[in-house]
Amino acid sequence: MKLFHPEHRKAVEIFYEKEYESYCALLESLSETLEKDVVPLSAGFDSDAGGIAAARKVLFEQGLCRMPFEFHGGLSLPFGMYCLGMELAGAADAPTAMSLAIHNTVADGIFRFGSESQRKGTFEDLVSGRKLASFSLTEPSSGSDARSMRTTATRKGSDYVIDGTKTFITNAGEADVYFVLARTEKGHTAFLVESSTPGLSVGPDIPKLGMRGSRTAEVRLEGCRVAEEGIVGEDGRGFEYVKAMLNGSRIIMGSICVGIALTAYQKSLAYAKERRLFDQKLSDMQMTREKVANMRSDITSSRVMCLYASRLKESGAEYASEAAQAKVLATEMAARVCDQAIQLFGGYGYTNSDVHRHWRDARLLTIGEGASEVLRMLIAGKELAASG
Amino acid sequence: MNIAVCVKHAIDEGELRSDSSGRPQLQGALAKMSTFDRNAVEEAVRARESKGGTVTVLSLGGQDWKKSLKEALAMGCDRAIAISSAGDLDTLATSYYLSRALQKGGPFDLILVSEGASDTYDGLVGPMLAEWLNLPFIGYARKVEIGEGTVRAEVALDEKAEVVDAALPAVVSVVSEVNSPRYPTLLQIMQASKKPMEELALDSLRDERAPLAAVKVLEVTAQPVNRKRVIYEGAPEESAQKLLDALRKEGVI
Repeated sequence: MKLFHPEHRKAVEIFYEKEYESYCALLESLSETLEKDVVPLSAGFDSDAGGIAAARKVLFEQGLCRMPFEFHGGLSLPFGMYCLGMELAGAADAPTAMSLAIHNTVADGIFRFGSESQRKGTFEDLVSGRKLASFSLTEPSSGSDARSMRTTATRKGSDYVIDGTKTFITNAGEADVYFVLARTEKGHTAFLVESSTPGLSVGPDIPKLGMRGSRTAEVRLEGCRVAEEGIVGEDGRGFEYVKAMLNGSRIIMGSICVGIALTAYQKSLAYAKERRLFDQKLSDMQMTREKVANMRSDITSSRVMCLYASRLKESGAEYASEAAQAKVLATEMAARVCDQAIQLFGGYGYTNSDVHRHWRDARLLTIGEGASEVLRMLIAGKELAASG
Repeated sequence: MNIAVCVKHAIDEGELRSDSSGRPQLQGALAKMSTFDRNAVEEAVRARESKGGTVTVLSLGGQDWKKSLKEALAMGCDRAIAISSAGDLDTLATSYYLSRALQKGGPFDLILVSEGASDTYDGLVGPMLAEWLNLPFIGYARKVEIGEGTVRAEVALDEKAEVVDAALPAVVSVVSEVNSPRYPTLLQIMQASKKPMEELALDSLRDERAPLAAVKVLEVTAQPVNRKRVIYEGAPEESAQKLLDALRKEGVI
């Protein structure tokens, strides 16, 4: 299965005309690696929580996580190129791409807000793949309403003692370092907590509808002592950092969904061209063609929106609303396209996990990293504020 | 140890489309480094990694062919020689101009090529190169070992394997079993653009021995593949057994 298509070339040509040849060469090479080392394993990950470790290692070695960063081992590529890289990764295997995207959200937070020693230490360990990170924000009683979290960090001398529980944490149990948001006297504060810290424990894997290759579990922090140097940025400004980190991450989740949708679309299109009924091919039927046209348009428009939001981010402009729009559009699109792929396969779509897993994978991303409803609140809020 | 490896920017056969009459659409077809040439590049880079020296990659082409050279540089070659040709050349002329570029860019201890290009699969450039350069040739090597002034190769033949020695310098063609080519990392691809690439025009390589085109390709058509379309009915175990028997009868397994 080829992952890098003429439509990707067109996107590079339109958004990065000056670097067309060299950027296409990068994506083509990444795609060949994914085709060889990740795609053949992807279906198996659906029944193997944690199975993606080998695929993740391949992508670390390729340098996928280095793409958007300027220094400390980064490749200084534009964010939109990272988006396209993540789209290809999502097309190859969604849980692997999601695990790496969340890992890299932490790397981004350290790169932008961390101390120089955190950049030289943890950040370089993360983008090279020497260490795996986990982003620990959600709690059992607070998901979208993250401000109401209960986890606390209490000052004890020069250290902080963290107590609380985080849930639905991707990479839990495998991560070497946890990016934890906790309340201090000054407000929400971001901490880096090493997995070996006494008091940090991880619950059993939480069974999921999709994204089954990645591990998801509860992270418990009971009297976890973290030195002051473990704070990312300034005490009390963690929530502000997390919001900034999630803006970029939302575009990436959108791009992963473009990849998921493209894979499901291509599988169903190939099937429609083979399957015969009423003495004709399924692809010759008018209602199939309507589906094909809608799926195709949906995928293209979502990719363009993700790249548009990326270009805004690259230019230094305000892009929170466009990032949210990209995520809402692309994640809901992927769920819709993957659902239509099942429909085209008919009974085989409902019973074959290699078809319906794409819908199950995509379905998570209208919830995680900002539920569609919350993102719509954000978009509408900005619109109404702007219009006075 | 100075090693040269020759690669072709070949039509990507996986992406080739046919028109309604079954003719492959060669005009505007996507191209990439010939699949087997990746094995030759990998073998050259491995030899350099174990013996030291440099690896020079050469390619003759006219459109986008530097992409294959850049890929070879990303895989670990040290420098590239791009021979620009406006039109298609036959294998005799291709091997001649490559041999001239090798003479100009050398000297080389070992010249590696693949068994054949993945689009045309003539398999002639390697032996012709050896002839132009008056060097020993070992074809279809599945294992290559470099000694002191010699190269030893295990050669895959239909029903037997041979181990052969040749004095260096020599030309060796490798088969795909020789290794598993690496995929360059994104960083290596970006760094490849900083490696030296020399461009040579055909005219600058021509001497009195330059051959005229000996073979001209007039037409390329797709070969129809007739399938037997046999369906074995019955319980899975029973039909699997029938399939197994049929494959054995055909000598496939």
